[in-house]
Amino acid sequence: MNNRKKCNKKRLTLLLLAAAMIGLISGCGKQADQEQETVSEAIKIPMVLTVDPSTGNKNEEKLVEAFNKTYEGIYKVEVEWAMETEEEYRQNLKRLNVADQLPTVMTDLRMLPSFYQMMIQDGRLEDLAPYIAADPQWQEMIEPVVLEGCSEADGSVYLAPLSTAAFSCSGVFWNEELFAQAGITTFPETWEDFWACCEKLQESNITPLALHTEGTAWAPMLFATAELASTREGASFMKETYPASYNNENGIHMAETLQKLFSYTTENALHTDYDVAYDNFFSGRAAMIPNGYWMMDQIPAEWAAKVHFAPFPGNVLISSPETFGWSLKAGCSPEVKEGAIAFLKFRTQLNQEEKQQLFDESAEGKSQAEQDYLVAYEANPQIVPNYQVKWNSILQEETLGDYLPELATGEISPEQFVQYEDESIEEFQREQ
Amino acid sequence: MIKVRKKSGIQRRYLQYTIFLLAIALLMSSVGVWFYMRENLSGAIIDKYEFMDEKMGLALDNLYRKTDEATAACIVDDALQKSLQAEPLNDNEQVALSKYFAYIDLDCVSEYCYVDNKENVYTRSYSSLSYQTFEESGFAGKLGGEYAKTKWIWAEDTLFGTGEMALFVGRYVRSMDYAHEPGMLFLKMDDSFFDEILGEGAGVDEDTIVGIIDGQGELCTSWFPQDYHMDQKNVDLLKSLADSDERGMLLGGSQVEGGVMSVYRQAESNLAVFTYVPNKVLNQGLTRILLVMAGIYLVVILIAVNLSIYFSLRFTRPIQEITRAMTSFDGNDFSQTIELQTHTELDQIGHSYNEMLGNIQQLLEEIKDQQKELRTSELNMLISQINPHFLYNTLDTIYMLARINKEETTMKMIQALSKYLRLSLSKGSDMVTVQDELENVKSYMEIQQIRNENLFQYTIDCRVEAADTWILKLILQPLVENAVKYGFCDIFEGGQIRITVEKEEDQLFFCVFNNGKSMEAETVEKLNSLSRMPLTEMKECFPDRKHGYGLVNIITRLRLKYGERVAFYYESGPEGTTCFIKVPQDGKEYE
Repeated sequence: MNNRKKCNKKRLTLLLLAAAMIGLISGCGKQADQEQETVSEAIKIPMVLTVDPSTGNKNEEKLVEAFNKTYEGIYKVEVEWAMETEEEYRQNLKRLNVADQLPTVMTDLRMLPSFYQMMIQDGRLEDLAPYIAADPQWQEMIEPVVLEGCSEADGSVYLAPLSTAAFSCSGVFWNEELFAQAGITTFPETWEDFWACCEKLQESNITPLALHTEGTAWAPMLFATAELASTREGASFMKETYPASYNNENGIHMAETLQKLFSYTTENALHTDYDVAYDNFFSGRAAMIPNGYWMMDQIPAEWAAKVHFAPFPGNVLISSPETFGWSLKAGCSPEVKEGAIAFLKFRTQLNQEEKQQLFDESAEGKSQAEQDYLVAYEANPQIVPNYQVKWNSILQEETLGDYLPELATGEISPEQFVQYEDESIEEFQREQ
Repeated sequence: MIKVRKKSGIQRRYLQYTIFLLAIALLMSSVGVWFYMRENLSGAIIDKYEFMDEKMGLALDNLYRKTDEATAACIVDDALQKSLQAEPLNDNEQVALSKYFAYIDLDCVSEYCYVDNKENVYTRSYSSLSYQTFEESGFAGKLGGEYAKTKWIWAEDTLFGTGEMALFVGRYVRSMDYAHEPGMLFLKMDDSFFDEILGEGAGVDEDTIVGIIDGQGELCTSWFPQDYHMDQKNVDLLKSLADSDERGMLLGGSQVEGGVMSVYRQAESNLAVFTYVPNKVLNQGLTRILLVMAGIYLVVILIAVNLSIYFSLRFTRPIQEITRAMTSFDGNDFSQTIELQTHTELDQIGHSYNEMLGNIQQLLEEIKDQQKELRTSELNMLISQINPHFLYNTLDTIYMLARINKEETTMKMIQALSKYLRLSLSKGSDMVTVQDELENVKSYMEIQQIRNENLFQYTIDCRVEAADTWILKLILQPLVENAVKYGFCDIFEGGQIRITVEKEEDQLFFCVFNNGKSMEAETVEKLNSLSRMPLTEMKECFPDRKHGYGLVNIITRLRLKYGERVAFYYESGPEGTTCFIKVPQDGKEYE
């Protein structure tokens, strides 16, 4: 009996000890690891886009937000918003390339012909042709003319196309009020009338044109190339890729036109970029500025009623839909590549929807310029290729910037100007 | 000779339990402290080195970024871009470009070498590095398939001919506009290049290993304690981690062979910073703390044991005193009382003991007295047993003489006396039937009637089965004797004695009434109080032994026989005095 009691006591003691030890150990031990939530992070697609220096608007922001919302938790286009002009952005792209820090998706490559070609040669761009071919839905969204413009001679596609060319045309935005002050009610339909219009505006102390010389001289070159294409020879010249020489009738004529255009522009047009021209137009200091459909978003609300859009005289619109093609960097991880392709397809789809919306909507919801644009686009205009996709980079990025001011001020003659243009061709050929 | 101090049982137990509890407490706290300290102290050291490793890793990241930015700035420089164009640089431009690298925004560049796509080599002015040497050095192939990423190369310096292992920062220089062949840029970093990382590792224990290793397992730089060689398993582990595709902290204070290791891999440079903390370092602090703990515990044990002894003595001393007093009590000496002043229950125990001692003493004295009386009674009894035959024969002879002489009264008295004596003796038994008791008292009364002619008449009313009912003998005679002696002291005739025996419930009820002088109330009260007082005190009520002796004798014998179930009391009134006795009915059971 006593032994049993002793045993029970010992057991109780041991049990108490064990319980205390367990309590102690568990008390001293780490707290139970909290359950780690496994949050699947969206695959990031890096990209650089610009903030318009004139308006402060983030270009393509709607597209990015719509994609990120649609693919929330799966893909995320991560944009580095760069406050820089298009020219600065394009130069930055080149720097990023040589530093091997390119973003996954790139815009504007087609605006840099030699860089674009180099990128293809160096295998820096992903050929999208197989992905488009493998996706009939995507393929059906793309207008043939757009896909053709984005395709290389060998069938490869390094520029993810938009759906339509409807948004890629450039014409002239003009200020109805300033025109009215000069007694002009309609935009001139011929080049003779255009020059007369400029004269009339100038006589009314109104600067007719908002121009600039930097950044491939986009505004003056649009006028000059449109004017050049008004003749059959000029139009043929504009279709040539990398013309062999500018020292010919077409080249000299274009130089003369450029010189003439700068006689109707503001004093600050020389050695400045497009943003200055934009400011001149939307501050009422100039009556006309050439640009594409994409400028619709940049028209301030108070200017929506008085800014009109018109094709260049002779019913000419300048368009190269491939310039809107976006490229995909080669060598990305399969996941990122897949996401980027989904993004590029999403862009094509959104563009298709925008076109349908634009053409289906009544006039009430559109600005004056948009209404004018639709009328111009549907009026069977002559489409002239964008010089940026046809001419060599040295001419665009160096020669125009260097010598256009001299041409404008008369320091050099049109003949000399075309010689400089030809020198750019030689240099370009040497570097190839 | 060792003097062993014998501990009391309680104290020994108390100490045992105290030490047991203390041992449990110390054991548990030791285990707790051990786990806690192991978790926290080791954790703190591991965290420290993990944090340090991460810091050094981030410093390495930063260093790589610096080289990347510095070389990126070189690449986009107009002069370098021009050097890639179709038209070669003129002499001045070449000299300028050679000097350009001396001013790049990067410290610790000991040598540099730029080779353009036209086999022109640009180095420091004193260097005579030719394109052929460059080709033979094998560095042209070290940039591998990278397009233009900055590459860190830990290699033997075959480029500048020192033959030492050194870090080279290399990068392709590509044209920004055209698809030209790229140039190649190599910067040789001097030994102090990693000092920035060294700075992040300040405060490293001397037994801790810190180092940087490349993907091939080559140690670029390290801090090894003297005479220490890392286990081959750990070297292999480091190599595999440095050569992996992961980035950032690959190991964060993980247990490896002989210690813990943290590894941060800088992915772009393909280098990994590691810290290896041997178990020796981890346990250093723990061992110290355990030693301190052991010291503290020793002191605690000593204090606890001493305090236990001190406090236990405060309780065990009085207990010992009680024990000593109890064990030393021999039954004779009642003067050994206990005087305690502990202000605890022990004082009450001592007091109770003292009281008990007093009671025992009193009881002993009573027993002695009773024994003495008993011996006297026994002696008397023996004497009275010897005499009866002689007495009865004598009385028979006197009776015969009285008969011969025809003396009726004498005959009657002798007959009554003889009956009285026979019943009084009753062969030594103290229990008799009610019948015998009544016969006895009747004989007595008849003797008294002869002695005091016409003094009183008596009646006996027995309502019980007298022959079958038992009662202690000689309880009625003294009552009648008192009635005759005190009740009829003032009369000479007309006295009445009435004896009644009846049954009330389970008790026998005796009443002895006399119509003589009424007993005084004070005497009634005094006699009635006898039943309530201790037996020993009853005798003290009648110290002269001349009065009350018979009553005390009756009450004593009744109480000794029947215990507390006895009632004995007087009632006195104008008619006379009555004595009542109640005893249990079946008195035979008490025999």
